[in-house]
Amino acid sequence: MIATFASLGLGLVVGYLGQRSRMCSIGGLRDFVLVRDTGLLKGAGALLVTAWVAFAVARIIHGTGHGLIAAGTTPSGLRAVVAIALGAIVLGIFATLSGACPLRQHVLAGQGRVGAWSFLAGFYLMAVVYTSWIEPSIGTWVL
Amino acid sequence: MTAGTATTGRTAGLHAGLRARVARWPRSAVFYGIVTAIGAVVVGEWLHVSPPAAYGLCSACHGRDLADWIVNHVEGKRLFITAAGAGATPLLTVVGLVIGAFAAAKRNGEFGSINIGGNLRQFGFGAVVMGAALFVGGCPTRIIIRTGYGDLAGLLALGGVAAGIVIATLGMRAVARR
Repeated sequence: MIATFASLGLGLVVGYLGQRSRMCSIGGLRDFVLVRDTGLLKGAGALLVTAWVAFAVARIIHGTGHGLIAAGTTPSGLRAVVAIALGAIVLGIFATLSGACPLRQHVLAGQGRVGAWSFLAGFYLMAVVYTSWIEPSIGTWVL
Repeated sequence: MTAGTATTGRTAGLHAGLRARVARWPRSAVFYGIVTAIGAVVVGEWLHVSPPAAYGLCSACHGRDLADWIVNHVEGKRLFITAAGAGATPLLTVVGLVIGAFAAAKRNGEFGSINIGGNLRQFGFGAVVMGAALFVGGCPTRIIIRTGYGDLAGLLALGGVAAGIVIATLGMRAVARR
């Protein structure tokens, strides 16, 4: 129950700020490559740096270990490394072609963009298809 | 008295300037990044959106959890849901995103139904993006948050996404110039 309200609240805040700032986690690099505009790239950098600092603070408060690399996140072998890299390249290419990252597509949908709603239709259809048929057949060998 | 009014005027001007500056903060991408990262860490570490690490904010994974939760509860199936989203009530991050953006757009007069075409293509892109995002373990925003957590796979995925963005952008520019 707490998770439901916490995630709803965070979603409301991020959706509001995302609409105001037009922030998109792939748009930063795209704008930089196209027109050398660093506005959104700074936002992605701030997200990364703040997450890094905040997780370090959380580890200090929890009193857990303070390694730079989290335990259990190392890819298991060359096959996993290649799979993750290829999957991420496909994600980057198709997210750029669709015009925005998935989070920004939710924001655009809230703003009234029809294309974003059809993006989300494919998005959630694929979520059910993936967990129903694709994930059981490839297993969890990626990590 | 003159000095007093002058000081009051200056303080009021200072306050007005400060308020104007604070009112501009939501327009800043850096402010968005800071608030989003802190919110994701707080929600993930203390507010029970946790069993996978660094799970505070993700549009793909939370969307998958919500969609599968609905399918499981309506159709009685047993699709995979992460421990964070498998409770009696689902994760509502994606619903909050859409409502928050709608409220912001309404409040600032930017709401409008815009149809620029290519909807079938967007549908296909959405399906591919969701498949790839679930494969690498998160939407680009969560990949950045995971990298901040110290996740090596997240760092690898971040590099891959960056490479994909550069490839797609340069490819689109090459096609547009031809």
